[in-house]
Amino acid sequence: MRIPARLAAPLLTAALLAATGCTATAEERSEALRIVGPFEVHSLDPATSQAFFTRLEVAETLVGADINGELVPGLATEWTHESHTTWTFELPHDAEFHDGTPVTGDAVAASLAKVADVEASPLSAIGIDAITGDEHSVRFELTEPFLTLPATLTHYSTMVLAPSSWDEDGHVTDVIGSGPYQVDHVEFPGSIEVSAYDGWRGEAPAIERLTFQSVSRPESRALMAASDQADIVFGLEPAGRQRVEAAPNVEMVSALQPRTLLLKVNGDHPVLGDPRVRLALSKALDRPGMATAVLREDDLAATQLIPPSLSAWHDEALEPLTQDLDGARDLLAEAGWEQQSDGSWQRDGETLRLSLVTYPDRAELPALATAIQAAFAELGIGLDVNVTNSSEIPAGHADGTLELGLLARHFALVSDPLVTVADTFAPEGSDWGAMNWHDDEVGAAITALLRGAEGAEGEEHRRTVVEAVHEELPLIPVAWYRMNAAVNSRVADFVMDPLEHTWRLSGASWQQ
Amino acid sequence: MSTLSLLPLESRTRRRRWVPATILILLVAFALIGPWVFASPFAQDLSRYLEPPSLTEPLGRDEYGRSVVSRLAHATRLSLVLASLSVATALLLGTTLGTMAAWRGGWLDSVLRGISESFVAMPALLIVLLFAALAADGSLWALYAGLALAQWVEYFRVVRARAALILGSPAVEAAELLHLGRLHVVRRHLLPELRPLLLTLASLGMVTAILAMSTLGFIKVGLQPPRAELGLMITEAFPHYDAAPWLALAPVVVLFALTVSLLGLRRKEDSR
Amino acid sequence: MTGIRRTGEVLLKRSGQALGVALAVSILCFVVVQRLPGDVSYRIAAGRYGYDLVDNAAAAAVAAELGLDRPAWQQFGSWLAALAQGDLGRSLVTSRPVGEELAFYLLGTLQLTGAALLVAILIGGSVGVLAARHPGSLVDHLATTWVASVRALPPFLLGLLLVLVFSVQLGWLPAVGHGNSTSLVLPAMTLGLGLSGLVARVTRETVINVWSSSYVQFAHTRGIRERLVLLRHVLRNSAVVLVPYLGAQAILLIEGVIVVESLFAWQGLGHALVHAVFWRDIPMLQATALALALLVVSLNTVVDLIVLRLDPRPRRAGALA
Repeated sequence: MRIPARLAAPLLTAALLAATGCTATAEERSEALRIVGPFEVHSLDPATSQAFFTRLEVAETLVGADINGELVPGLATEWTHESHTTWTFELPHDAEFHDGTPVTGDAVAASLAKVADVEASPLSAIGIDAITGDEHSVRFELTEPFLTLPATLTHYSTMVLAPSSWDEDGHVTDVIGSGPYQVDHVEFPGSIEVSAYDGWRGEAPAIERLTFQSVSRPESRALMAASDQADIVFGLEPAGRQRVEAAPNVEMVSALQPRTLLLKVNGDHPVLGDPRVRLALSKALDRPGMATAVLREDDLAATQLIPPSLSAWHDEALEPLTQDLDGARDLLAEAGWEQQSDGSWQRDGETLRLSLVTYPDRAELPALATAIQAAFAELGIGLDVNVTNSSEIPAGHADGTLELGLLARHFALVSDPLVTVADTFAPEGSDWGAMNWHDDEVGAAITALLRGAEGAEGEEHRRTVVEAVHEELPLIPVAWYRMNAAVNSRVADFVMDPLEHTWRLSGASWQQ
Repeated sequence: MSTLSLLPLESRTRRRRWVPATILILLVAFALIGPWVFASPFAQDLSRYLEPPSLTEPLGRDEYGRSVVSRLAHATRLSLVLASLSVATALLLGTTLGTMAAWRGGWLDSVLRGISESFVAMPALLIVLLFAALAADGSLWALYAGLALAQWVEYFRVVRARAALILGSPAVEAAELLHLGRLHVVRRHLLPELRPLLLTLASLGMVTAILAMSTLGFIKVGLQPPRAELGLMITEAFPHYDAAPWLALAPVVVLFALTVSLLGLRRKEDSR
Repeated sequence: MTGIRRTGEVLLKRSGQALGVALAVSILCFVVVQRLPGDVSYRIAAGRYGYDLVDNAAAAAVAAELGLDRPAWQQFGSWLAALAQGDLGRSLVTSRPVGEELAFYLLGTLQLTGAALLVAILIGGSVGVLAARHPGSLVDHLATTWVASVRALPPFLLGLLLVLVFSVQLGWLPAVGHGNSTSLVLPAMTLGLGLSGLVARVTRETVINVWSSSYVQFAHTRGIRERLVLLRHVLRNSAVVLVPYLGAQAILLIEGVIVVESLFAWQGLGHALVHAVFWRDIPMLQATALALALLVVSLNTVVDLIVLRLDPRPRRAGALA
C-alpha cells in the first residue's frame, strides 16, 4: 500500500500500456503516409461513402479528371457516342479487382446500375434506359441526349466495385475496387487503412501504405500537423494555419476550391424581387473585410459568383462586386424606399427589414451572417439572423417563406461545372441555387450548352449566363473558398487537386 | 447524480463562508448588470479580431471581434438563470412528490419509488443531452426541462425518506391527536427540518446544472453559435490558445469561480 | 445459504431497475427524436451523402425508405417490438447493423473506463495513503484541496488542461485518436484524475481508521510476516469502503465517458451517442443511450456483488446508490 508518489506515474503508464495490449506491431510498419481530415467515414456504399475510396484510389470511376478538371481516362480507356443517347466506354484488358477477378463490362454495368437508382447521386438525374456490359466495354442507353454523361461519371458515387463487394441484401460489406490501393481495414467512423495492390495494372505507387484518420476538432488537426503526428492534414482553420506555418518540417499548400459562399435570395419576395434592392444589398457588403476577418484571406472576397478556378465560367471582364454605400442608397431610393431620420428605410409605411437563415455546420457561416447583419445595419436595413438546421433553407425554398439564405455552394460536383450551373439556375429553382428567379436567355443558353454547344458558341452562351447572373444577382456571392492542407516535408511530389477527385497519392513519394 | 457522496469530509467553517458568498454575489452582479452595461454579445468588429485586453475592452475581443466581456456577462447570466430555474423546479417537484409519497403511501408511493429507482440510475448528462438536442434551434425551454427532469429525483428521495420518518414521529402523532392536520405537520415539522439539507442539495444541483450546460456547450450539443454560453465560448476560444490565451481563460475562470463558490456555500453540518 | 439468497435479491432488484431504466430511456429518446429541430430525413440524408449532394428529393427518398413518414407511435412500436427480439435495427447513416456497431463502441468504452478506474485507484490510492500517514501535513492539505477542485472542474476542462500540457507543450502523447496504445493515456488520465480525488479521500479516512485499530497496533509491534498480514487487512478494509463509493460514482464515470470520448475522439458509446444526435441516427441514438444507462445499472450490480463477497454482513446493503 505504500507506493511512493514518484513511482506511481511510471507504474501507471506501464499498466495503461499493458491494459491496451500494446500494439507494437502496427507501429513497426510505420512507413504509412498518415492523412488526417475533418470528415468521417460513414459507409462503404458508393453513394454514401463521401468519396473516401476514390480519393484514396481504392476504387476508380470510369472517367477521371486532371488537376484542371479536364476529363481524362479513368477505369475506361476511351469513350465514344454513336448517337447522343448511346455511349460506349472501353475497358482495359488487364484491369482486375482486388479480389483477383477481371474487370468486365458486366461487373461495371452491375455496379453502376445500383447507384443509378440512388436519388442523391448525379447519375440518377440522367434518364437511363439500360446499362449493359460485354467482355471489355460498357454501354449506356439514355432516354434523352445527355452530353455531360462522361463528366457525371467522374463523380465518386459512380465508382466501380467488384460484384463480391455486396452481400445478398445489397449492402456493401467490402470495398473491392480496381485502383492502385486496396483496403486493409476500415473502422467507422474514424479511420481507413489501405496498401498498394500487387495486381495494379499501372505503375506501382511509391508510397505503399496510406492511413486516413478523421479528427473533428480543428485545433487537434493543427496540433497533429505541427507535431509530426500526421503527414497530410486537410481542413485547417485560420488559427491552426498560423501554428502550422510557424512549425518546422511542415508546409501549407492550398488551392482555390470551386465553392462559393453566397446569399440565396427569394426572387418572388415583395422587397427582394426588385433587382435594384438585391444590388443595393450586394453593394452594402465589404467583402474583403469579411474575407479577411472570417477566412483570414482578403483575396477570397468574391468579385463574381464563379471563382477563378473554374476558368471557363469565370469572366475577368465583369466589373467586380464592391462595397458602395452611396450607390446602395441611390438604388434603394430608386426602388421607392425612403430613408428615415433614424437611418431605416420605409416604403408605403413599411420598414425595410429582412430575415436570413443559415446553419452552423460550416463554422464560418454564422460568423459571416453576423458580419452581413452588421453591414446591412450600416446601410440602415435590419436583418434577423436565424442559425438553424441546414434543412430549413430548402424547406423555406419549398414553402416560399425563405427571404435570404446564406450557404456554401460547390460548383463542380462533377468535373464539368455545367451540370451544377444548370441545376443552380434551373427554371423551377433549386434547393441550393436560385429561388423564384428565371431568365429566358439564361435558360436558352444553358439548354444549348447541355445540347453540346462548343467552341466560340459555347463561350458565348456561358457569357450570357454569367453576365445575366452578375447583373440580376439571384444569388449574391460573398466569398470564395480555399482548400488547404499541411504537408510534412517527408512527403514529396504531393499535388493538391482542388476538385479532390482523388488525393493523388499514388503519384507522391517519400522525400529522399 | 450522487452528488451527496461527493461532499468533502472537510468543510469550511461558518466564518469562512463569506469568501465564496462574496465571489458568488460578484458573479451574480456581473451577470445581472453586465448585459446592460456592455455592448451586444453578437456585435462584430471584424477588423479587431483577437484584440488583447485593453481599458475599453477589459477582456479583449474574440476571433470575430466580439466583446469578450459582454459575451461573458451574457453567458454567466444564462448559466445562473437556467441553473436556478431548473433547480427550483426540480426542488419543488421532488419535494412535493416526496411528501406526497410519504404521506399517502400505498400505490402512489410504490409507483413514484419505481420511477425514481429508474431515474436515479440514469446519468443526468444523458437526460440533459437528449433534451439539449431538442434545443439546437436555440430554444432554452428544452434545456431547462432536461436539467429539471435530471435532478428532481434527488430531492424526491431525500424528502421521501425524511418525511416518512417525521410523519411517524411522536411529535407528529401528538399533533394529529390535537387535530392540527398533516399540513400543519409538513409546515411546522417537515420543512424546517429539511431546509438546510435542501439548500445544500440545491447548491450542489446548481453546480451540476452549470457544469452540464457548459459540457454540452463544449461538445456542441444543444445551444449553437453565435449564442454566448460558457462551454461554447471555451470550445470556440480553444483553437486560439497560443495567440490569445485570455480568450479561453476568461470563461474558464468564471466557470470555476461559479462552481467553487457554490460548493463553498454548503454548511459544515450538512456535509455528512 | 444466505449469501446465495442475498445475491439473488441483489440481482432481482437490479434487473427490475434495469427494466425501468430501459423503458424510461426508450421513451425519452423517442420523444426527443420526434421533436428534434430540422427535418430528420434531411439531416440523415446529409450524413449519408454529404451536404453538397442533399436536396429535398434525396431527403424525401430517405424518409420514404425509412418509413419516417409513419406516425410516431407506429415507429416507436415497431422499434420496441424489434428490440424485444434482440434486433436493434440498422444505423440510418451507415446502414450497418446497430448491434455490431454497439459491440465495437462498448468495447471502447469498457477499455476507457477500465483504464480510468486503474488510474483513479493508483493515483488516488497513493495520495490517500500519503495523506493518511501524515495527517495535517502539507500533503494532507494539498490532497484536500485537490479533492475540492476536482469536483468543481468539469472533465472537459481537465482534458483540455492535459492536452495542453502533455500534447502541446511536451509533445509526449497524441491529443486525439483511437486504436494505438498511447492514444488511450490522455482520455484515461482525464477520467481517472477526476475520480482520483474521491478515492484519495476515502483511502485516507480508511487508512487512518484501520491504522488506529487495536488489531493493527498489535501487528505493528511484530515482524515482517505480520506486516504482510497487515497489508492484507488494510487492503481488505479499504476495499470494503472504497468499492461501494466507487459504485456510487458509476454515474459520474459514465457522464465523464460521454464528454471525454467526444473530446478525444475515442471510439466509444459516448462518442457514438453524440454523433447519433448530430446525424439524427435514431436507432443508433436509442441503442447507445440505452447501453450507457444499462452500463450504470450493470456497474452498480457488479459493485453490489463485490460488496457482498467482501463483506457479507447485511448492513452494507443500504450504503449503495
